[in-house]
Amino acid sequence: MEDIAIQLRGVDFSFLIQRYGVGSLKEFILKPGKGKYFAYKTVLRDINLDVFKGETFGLLGVNGSGKSTLLRVIAGVLQPNRGSVHVFGRIAPLLALGVGLQPELSGLENIQLCGTLMGLSPREIQKSRDKIIEFAELSDSIEMQVKRYSSGMLSRLSFAIATAIQPEILIIDEVLSVGDLGFQKKCGRWIEDMRKQGCTILYVSHSPEQIRKMCTRAACLEDGQISVVDEVDVACDYYLSKF
Amino acid sequence: MLVLAWSNIKVRYKSSVLGIFWSLITPLIFLGIFVFIFSQAFSDIENYPLFALSGLVFWNFFATTTSQITASVISGGGILKSIPVPPIIFPVSSLLAALFNLVFSLIPFSMLMLLFGQRPNWNLAALIPVIALYASFALGISLLLAALNVYMRDVLMLWSSVIPGLLYFTPIAYPVELIPEEWRWMMNFNPLFHYINSIRKILYYSSLPNLNEWLVILMIAALSLLIGIFVFQKLQRNFISAL
Repeated sequence: MEDIAIQLRGVDFSFLIQRYGVGSLKEFILKPGKGKYFAYKTVLRDINLDVFKGETFGLLGVNGSGKSTLLRVIAGVLQPNRGSVHVFGRIAPLLALGVGLQPELSGLENIQLCGTLMGLSPREIQKSRDKIIEFAELSDSIEMQVKRYSSGMLSRLSFAIATAIQPEILIIDEVLSVGDLGFQKKCGRWIEDMRKQGCTILYVSHSPEQIRKMCTRAACLEDGQISVVDEVDVACDYYLSKF
Repeated sequence: MLVLAWSNIKVRYKSSVLGIFWSLITPLIFLGIFVFIFSQAFSDIENYPLFALSGLVFWNFFATTTSQITASVISGGGILKSIPVPPIIFPVSSLLAALFNLVFSLIPFSMLMLLFGQRPNWNLAALIPVIALYASFALGISLLLAALNVYMRDVLMLWSSVIPGLLYFTPIAYPVELIPEEWRWMMNFNPLFHYINSIRKILYYSSLPNLNEWLVILMIAALSLLIGIFVFQKLQRNFISAL
């Protein structure tokens, strides 16, 4: 039996949905009652998944099937309502979309802030700072406020920050679609390097071609449930036959 | 946490020309208005500017801290969604930033004190525990508001209209003796009054709060903090779905 990197057992997750809109406060005061204003929407249902150390695992699913939620549960950002999540190893944060960056701060300040929040010591941040800047190709504009960055620069910066903690588990949520061709290639090379070093990679996409190229095993996520976990070809064929 | 507080401060002043000096200027502008309007009305109060400023600086702290903390969880939403960090770091770092600001705005106050011939005395040291209790009280209330605000954005709007009301309901610009005897008991139910009272005793009357007053402000702080933390802990589970 290989070592397990990510283990999910019977994971359920539901979002709290607010059902009120404009004029809600009036209703709230007139007819109070929690049940009417909040409802739970189940996004993930009884997810069981094992990802082994060192493998590149694909996760397929259409938009809205719960992929991002599942990633957030694995990354520890969301707590499941039921079931258990075990992650063995340092996991890279989901910075890929640049949401964690503070628009008013400069790129450099964002590196410090995010680095600290990810649990790096000041010394580690100091050490990896230049590497991040170089990787993001931002040496000219690192003092600039992030809100003035182009979207390509944003995603380069956030990807570079995420790479700085030398993760053992890497979650890739279609990052390769951001940045220009040169940066995409660079990311691809970096991911390849990480894989060679024995890093576990969880690759998420709705395109089976990408998954087939990169992964050895894959799972299909359908409407919050995992329908297939198998060799990459089997999973991709199933996915293609379905949609 | 400190890094986050520091970046809060930086964000606040980043795009303003005078930057950090706003911490000095805001209370002075406030003071200008109050002195202009009220010094005729309260001409029997010795050193009215000092009297008013001792209340105003701390009032200002309460007003800005509570509203900033209430909004802090929402503005930290991007980070919360991408890096697994406990949500409580946002309120606490906002508080630290506000405390830093408060210390800064005490500079014009101390200059004014010297100007009016108040000698520095050891009783001033009592300000430190009073500020600590005052900050805990403000934090407790704000945690409650912040947690509710994630689910109902109405909370912040409501609070921003409550705040000016509190200013007039609390003896900040006027002495408590101005309230008619038969209504003065109501002040006991205004927690802010107890803090402003103790602060003013130290800063304006150069004396110390008595044991009774110490106990009251201690209990209010503890109660507020307990309720705030309890509610925040209860509600933080679903923060991300509501953000």
